[in-house]
This record gives sequence, structure tokens and C-alpha cells, in this order.
Amino acid sequence: MRGFFGELCERKELLAILIARNIKIRYKNSALGFFWTLLAPLFMIAIYSVFARIMRWNLGREDFLPFLVVGIVVWQYLAMSLNDSLSAISGNANLIKKTAFPRHILPVSTVLANGVNFLLTFAVLLVFLLIVKADFQALWTLPLVLATHAALCLGLALAFSAASVFFRDTEHAVGVGLLAWFFMSPVFYSMDLQMAILPERLSAAVYLNPMSGILSAYRFALMSEPIAGGESVWLSFAVAWALLPAGLGLFRATEKRFADEL
Amino acid sequence: MSDKPAITMREVTKAFRLCPKGGRTLKALALEWVRSRRGRRVFHALDKVSFDVMPGETLGIIGANGSGKSTLLSIAAGAMTPSSGTVTARGTVSSLLELGAGFHPDLTGRENVFLYGAIMGLSRRTMIRRFDAIVDFAGIASHIDQPVRHYSSGMVVRLGFSVAVEVDPDILLVDEALAVGDADFQAKCLNKMREFKRRGKTMLMVSHDLSAIQAISDRILLLDQGKVLGVGDAEGMVGRYRVLAARQGAAAGQAREWGTGEIRIEDVIFSDGTGARTDTFRWGESLTAEIRWRAATRVENPVFGFSVSDRDGRLLYGNNTQIEGFAVPQAEGEGRVRFTLHPLCLGTGAYLFSFSVHSPDHKTNYHRLDHRFPIAVEADKATAGPCYMPCRWSGAQP
Repeated sequence: MRGFFGELCERKELLAILIARNIKIRYKNSALGFFWTLLAPLFMIAIYSVFARIMRWNLGREDFLPFLVVGIVVWQYLAMSLNDSLSAISGNANLIKKTAFPRHILPVSTVLANGVNFLLTFAVLLVFLLIVKADFQALWTLPLVLATHAALCLGLALAFSAASVFFRDTEHAVGVGLLAWFFMSPVFYSMDLQMAILPERLSAAVYLNPMSGILSAYRFALMSEPIAGGESVWLSFAVAWALLPAGLGLFRATEKRFADEL
Repeated sequence: MSDKPAITMREVTKAFRLCPKGGRTLKALALEWVRSRRGRRVFHALDKVSFDVMPGETLGIIGANGSGKSTLLSIAAGAMTPSSGTVTARGTVSSLLELGAGFHPDLTGRENVFLYGAIMGLSRRTMIRRFDAIVDFAGIASHIDQPVRHYSSGMVVRLGFSVAVEVDPDILLVDEALAVGDADFQAKCLNKMREFKRRGKTMLMVSHDLSAIQAISDRILLLDQGKVLGVGDAEGMVGRYRVLAARQGAAAGQAREWGTGEIRIEDVIFSDGTGARTDTFRWGESLTAEIRWRAATRVENPVFGFSVSDRDGRLLYGNNTQIEGFAVPQAEGEGRVRFTLHPLCLGTGAYLFSFSVHSPDHKTNYHRLDHRFPIAVEADKATAGPCYMPCRWSGAQP
């Protein structure tokens, strides 16, 4: 792990250029370019608010719209990071085959480029929350939540970027897996609902899903929404952080064969 | 200058796992698992390759397609990891592997230049300093802020060469750089490489352009099917490669053996003026071929002959014992007959020798070996055509 961060620091210029490259490529040939980062969440909030009203979809809560939007913005960072990670290595075959540099910079740069995107979206989200329901009493917890969220994205991105070099199936599996994971995570329902399904003594097990804890923690930080199950949320944090060395381990074990397979 | 090699390879082997028939399916993977490591089919792209390149030296690498040249460069660049063996490179390495292939088509030339510099580990400040020189050398100043996908292939190559050279590495790896670009740019590249040499930089280069690689390399390494056939002076190795290529060409269909079999040509041994056995010769020196024959029955007045053709099998020259009035009254048991060509009047290239033994009236061919013996010839001058006749010009001064 020390080598991992050490090399990232050493090659921070390369990392910065790759992050900038990933962002630029996303908006190539688009007239509005980077503005989409701000426009997309605005449109999303508008669309959900209209449809939630028409469908009378509110889970019996007054603050359903901010609740839902926080969930979706948070989820999107994970989903986009993982989707981009699939081509982080295999999409740079020429660089991998011809030059030597720490390979993990590539998936890290896709996660961080999406992180830049996420933070800008997040800024829009904060403004929105200020307008509709500002309750930032627990905002001090946000840095830890953001870091944990990023660690989870990074661990999985490392694993999937390596796996997709060897198996094209990874792409399909990640697509299906993300959909299942989305519905298993409290994005558009609350943790109480999820916990109610399990017998009481096992209810803490819902936090084995790291996104359960992360989503709950974001809502705690941004909306002061109490965390269901209290302390057991740390289980999610532990899982998220454990996935980072695990993903890195898988990546390190296979990176020597990238140039052969591509 | 250090006396330690700039690049050292020791027993470097690179094995690729071959994909199972029908691709990597679940069934194939399961089978592979069951068969374990021993049953895996592998292909050795490099087989125990060892060599040193001293600082300031230029080592050329030649060999047929698929002989492992590019794998070797990828390993030297550190992009590929050898299956076994050790590689050491002292100093920064820049690779001209498939020029510009690492460029991203959606980024501008400028962005790609900085990306490449960052990959090579150069600071942004250094790149800003060298940026103008890069653009100048590539000669694409007007397009530098256009996305690379709008570049012509020549422009991509020029920018690729320029950036790889201008990052000023200690070791430069060049893969087929000379095969691309127009004549003007090729000359510029060659100049740049010579300048590189003068400044004591180390180069490792791969090319199919034998005369270019011979001109710039101090030594040449000849690869064949992943094995080192030899490392040595440029001229000798290029000659050996020509023979090898001609032999493979001969094996590929031109070689033919036929005859009635009363006398058989068992073998033919080629040697140079010093009597040393070789298949590489120099123009103007001598070539001796010794034909070793064996006769199953007694044969009266056999005629031994030979011919030389180019690599495409076109006849250039033929001669025999009858034409030269060298009588072989009879043949029985086994024996030898030899001839010497002196001076050898062939230009640089590979040639195929054919040998025959037939009756004086040419009606019975006892044994013929067509296009079976390749040789290579090195000439001091690049004359045109296969035949190089000594030539002296004269004329009155105006």
C-alpha cells in the first residue's frame, strides 16, 4: 500500500495529465463541454421532482426528493467509476505495450477524473439542499465519508480494470452486477425498509453492503438523517476500506501480464 | 563514460500462453485448470537471449518477421516482463516503438506531447522548455493544437519521432522508424540518430532496412525464432541474415532434388580464400565449392555443373566441367570435385547455388539439387543488379 501511494506521489504530474485527459475525452466534440457536469445534475433533479410528484412517490416522507437525489448522485460516482475502469487498461493497450510506467496510475486516474466530476455535481447538490432542506449539522463527517466512498471506487476499479484485460465478460458482469447492487442499496428507499426484511439479530448484516453504510452516512452528513442500526454502519466502512488493498493485490498480481494479453 | 553496459540481458525468455482452440471459453478454462501448468501450450517468443550493449553503442537487431525483435524491444523498454532471465537498463529509456502509436486521437498534438513526456517521467517544466524544439523538428507547428485524429499518418510519425528523441533519453529504442515518413524526414531521422551516437547515447534498433541498419549499427544481433544466432560486426551479421532468409526462401518452395541416382551429390562445402568454411563472401575475393559425391555403380564421363541464381530463382550464371574442359573419366565409389570462382563478381545480396551431375549428352540427369545452397555476398560498393563487374572510369580532364 505504501508503494501504491508513493508511486502516485512520485508521478503526480503524469496522474494530473491523465486525469485531465479523461475529463477532456469525455466532453470531446460537445458544444457545452464541461458545463454538462453542472447541467446533468440540474436536469436530473428537475426530472425526478416532476415524476415523483406525478407518481405520488414519496415513501411517506416530506423530504423524499433531496433524499432521492443524494442517493442517486452518490450512486452515480460509483457506477461511472466502475464503468470507466473497464477500459482503463484495455483502452490504453498502446501505452501499456510500449512504455513503462506504474500501471495503477491508469485506473486511479479514471476514478479521480470521475471524482472531479462528482465533486462538481456535489457542489450543485449542496446548493440544491440549501434551497430545499439545509441541515448541515453533521457536515463535519463528510470528509471521512467522501474518502471511504473514493476508497471503495478505487478498490473495485483496480480489480475490474485488471479483470477486463483477461476476460471481456467482466464488462457484462459489471453491468448486471451494478444493476443488482443498485436495488440492494438504499438509493431510493431507506435503510429501515432493508433492515425490516432481515430477522432482528441479523439486521446489522445489511451493512456488509458497503454502499448501505456510505449512503446512510452521506444522508447523515447532508440531511442529519439518523443512521438506522447506529454503530453497525462501521461495518460498511471497514468493508469499503478492505476492498482497496484487495483490489490492489489483484491488480499487482496480474499487471505483469497486461502487456502480453493486450 | 562508464564501462558498465547500458543494457544487459541475461537468459531472457518470454513465453506466451497460447489461447486454447476456439478462444478462452469457460470450458477451455476449466480444462486448463484440470491440466494444470504442465499441459499449457506456450510459444517462446524469446529463448534465453543474452547480450550487453555498452554506453554509446548502437546495437541493431535483425531477423525475419516473428523472430522476436519487437518483443525484445518491449522488454528492454520495461513494458513487458520476461518470463525468466534478467534485464538491466542503466539510464532513462525512451522508445520509438511504433511511432506515435501511444498518442490519443482525441487529444491535440500539444496534449499528447506533454502526456508522453509525463510517461517518460519528465517534469512539466522540462517539457515546456523542449516543446518548441519538438514541434520544430516535427515541422507541424500549424497543427499542434489540432486533435491528432486530424493528422496525416506522416505527421503522427514525425511528431512521435520528434518527441521520443527530444525527451533526450540515455537509451533510445527504435522500432522500424526508418520505414516510415518521406525521404526527407528519413534523412532527418538518420541525422538525428547519428547526432545521438556522437553524444555518446546508447541505441537499440530494429529494422528490416538492412543497408540502413548496417550503416548505423556498431554491432548487430541476429534473431531467429526467438534465439540469438549471433552478435557481431554489422556486415557479417547482415550477410548471415541474408543467407538465413535465402535458405528459408529456398525451403519455402524453390529447392528441388531429382535425378536417376547413379551418382548422388552428398554435400557441397563452401569456403573462402583462406580455406575457412563459410556461406558469406566478399565481392572480389574467392569462393570455393567442394562437391562430395557417391556413385552407386560405375559411371563413365560424368559432368559436374553448378549454377547461381538470385533469390527469386532467376538464373545468373552456370558452368560445368565439360565447358571448362575438366575431364572426369569415370566415377565409382565416392570422391570430390571442386571449383573456385575468383574474383567473385556478385553484388551485395543473397544467392542460391544449384548443383548437378549428368551425362555428357545431357540426356541423363543422375542427380540435381536445384536452389539448395544459399550464400550471401557483401560488396564494397552499392552497384545496381546482381552482377558487379570491376569497372574503371577514365577520360580527359576538360
